[in-house]
Amino acid sequence: METLYTVLIDPFVQMFAMPDFFLQVLWEGLVSGVLYSLIALGFVLIFKSSRIFNFAQGIMVVFAALSLVGLHSFLVPYVGNQFVAAAIAMPLTLGIMYALAMGVERMVLRPLVGQPDIILFMATIGITMFLIGFGEFVFGGENKVMITEALGIPTGAIEFTPFDGFLLLEEKDVFAVVMAIVLVVSLLVFLNKSAMGRAIRALGDDHTAALSVGISLSTIWVLVWFIAGVIALATGIVWGARAGVSFALEVIAYKALPVLMLGGLESVSGAIIGGIAIGLLEKIFEIYWGQPLFGGNTETWFAFIFALIVLLFRPQGLFGEKIIERV
Amino acid sequence: MKHFTNFSRAVAAGALAVAMSTAAMAADGLNLPNLTYRTGPFAGTGTPIMNGQRDYMLMLNERDGGIGGVPINYVECETGYNTNKGVECYEKTKGEALVTQPWSTGITLQVLPRTNVDRIPILAPGYGFSPMSDGNTFAWAFNPPVSYWDGAYMILDYISDGDMTSLKGKKIVLLHLDHPFGKEPLPLLEKLAEMHDFKLVPIPVGLKEMQNQSAQWLQIRRERPDNVIMWGWGAMNAGAITEAVKTRYPMENFLGVWWSGSDADLQNVGAKAKGYKSISFNAPGNFPVMEDIRKHVVSKGNSMIKSEADLDTVFYQRGIVISLYLAEGVKTAQDHFGEKNINAEQLRWGLENLNITEARLEELGMKGMVPPLKTSCDNHTGHAGGWMLEWNGEAFVQASDLLVPDRDLIRPLELQKAADYADNNAPWPGRGDLACN
Repeated sequence: METLYTVLIDPFVQMFAMPDFFLQVLWEGLVSGVLYSLIALGFVLIFKSSRIFNFAQGIMVVFAALSLVGLHSFLVPYVGNQFVAAAIAMPLTLGIMYALAMGVERMVLRPLVGQPDIILFMATIGITMFLIGFGEFVFGGENKVMITEALGIPTGAIEFTPFDGFLLLEEKDVFAVVMAIVLVVSLLVFLNKSAMGRAIRALGDDHTAALSVGISLSTIWVLVWFIAGVIALATGIVWGARAGVSFALEVIAYKALPVLMLGGLESVSGAIIGGIAIGLLEKIFEIYWGQPLFGGNTETWFAFIFALIVLLFRPQGLFGEKIIERV
Repeated sequence: MKHFTNFSRAVAAGALAVAMSTAAMAADGLNLPNLTYRTGPFAGTGTPIMNGQRDYMLMLNERDGGIGGVPINYVECETGYNTNKGVECYEKTKGEALVTQPWSTGITLQVLPRTNVDRIPILAPGYGFSPMSDGNTFAWAFNPPVSYWDGAYMILDYISDGDMTSLKGKKIVLLHLDHPFGKEPLPLLEKLAEMHDFKLVPIPVGLKEMQNQSAQWLQIRRERPDNVIMWGWGAMNAGAITEAVKTRYPMENFLGVWWSGSDADLQNVGAKAKGYKSISFNAPGNFPVMEDIRKHVVSKGNSMIKSEADLDTVFYQRGIVISLYLAEGVKTAQDHFGEKNINAEQLRWGLENLNITEARLEELGMKGMVPPLKTSCDNHTGHAGGWMLEWNGEAFVQASDLLVPDRDLIRPLELQKAADYADNNAPWPGRGDLACN
């Protein structure tokens, strides 16, 4: 009886008894969800254009953030001003991500054109190993502080007092949400309105047909890997601003897996909605059911169980395409 | 292509040279390997400690020609704090090793039974399994100068200002990594909660949630605890401190174990974390030994530190202290057996008979850096105590006199859990053929 009360009644009593706290839970879930969506977007873009599940997306987040912080600390003694150093480090980091995209296309993808998907997937594991080793060799393994202030990211907090309680919104979390929205809208406009965007979608729909009308596979791959690099940099900045820049950021990429299972590997809107849904649901479940019933830490498995249940009914995910192949 | 070929040749030649020198080193000298984790999610904790450990050994080689005139072969094997890789490293290095330093509670628990068979002492300073203190059960394992249970006791002793009955009715959260290390203080804290009638609320943090602890800190906000004790490692520490600042939890009520007290973890929030505390078995400062390290290692460009400021950090200096215990173990064995090239069994004896007095610390240039320590057959920890350090916004400073654990309280629990371990792993050899003298 007590268990039934804990499962069916108590969580809702608490939500109504402490509405300010419930709002805080929703906000934290939304922020986590937006950040999961960002990581998932990187996976989706590459899969959409090349059918490759990019295992290296997580380490690209780390590598981009480390490059930015490393370049900034290298430049500060020369330019003498942290804001100027950040202004130079940012385009240089984008340059590094572009060079990485070029390198991946020339040295990994191009020689493997026409190989089975699993070979390309294994190649992205190779890229992960390379970036881990190279990143640790160049930047070291220590925790680094994200250059939040030099990038002009606000670091204060906005406090509200709803229902005589308090709701705290970190300005850097607000920035993360706004930046994610801007990035996603820009990406959707790019994919739907520009010629290059349409070419990416065409490749996603049918490789052979796209090549037959003159779409350059290598140009699109470089572009897509570069966009994934930009998303990785944005993700690295906002996650790094929360808890520092270290190789632990790579682990966060695994949080995108249930988002992809839920949203579908090919759907941009699936990645966004799936990410936000998982962020919100896992937070609400953890606070109101997970901690009283399981002693907490349900976030490590909740999203996977939820995605598996969805897959039972929709094997292609909520927004994935149902592919019918005639043999 | 030509350049690439030349480069390949150079790399191959370099690799051969390193391999040959390693083989040569393995032939003579004191082989003291370290299972390091300079990579992966926990590298933030590992790197400064490993730098300190390495630099102390290099300094002894440069200044004294090693220990007792025998050069030290300090070899690192990288585990990334991964238990499977740690076991591989143990197997790879055990051949010539005088000691194994597993550097993770998970790895320690895995290699613990093997060391009885391989007859290699485990040195796990400030980590591992608390009942390892019972040398009659764990003859080959050493965890000086304090165990996790000692640490948990000292933190509560500090919170209660020496009177644990004052904890009655209070609520204390244990925010811990969901890992064998993070769960290690639970038996003692549960016992103390029962004895002194305070409520203990354990809140686990999963490995994937280390950098996003908003759910854990929402629970802390809802629980409104009097104190939060953190048992964190690696990226978990910076994540927790950031969330504590964000939640506006009073920093003076937030305390951590010694692995949650790295300068690098606090720099992310800087002055906002002022008042945060961490128990530590080493006190930071500019001790004479630091001058020797500057002179013999850093100034010669042989250190792996990024800048000289790293020398002043708590974790770098803790690495030095950890190598001190090993070096003193070697010296004790050399003196006792009258042999310079000792073996693993002799080092085991040395670690079991450590007696690092105030006078000896002064001689080593480390007086005040670490408490005196004495180990024995049935006390492989020494239980030397530690100090509470406080973050002043820029660095950690000493905030208490020496705190010591209550041995009468902890000892029976250690013996009981050691006996349980031996029963569960029967037939457990205990001391076997090793005499206590």
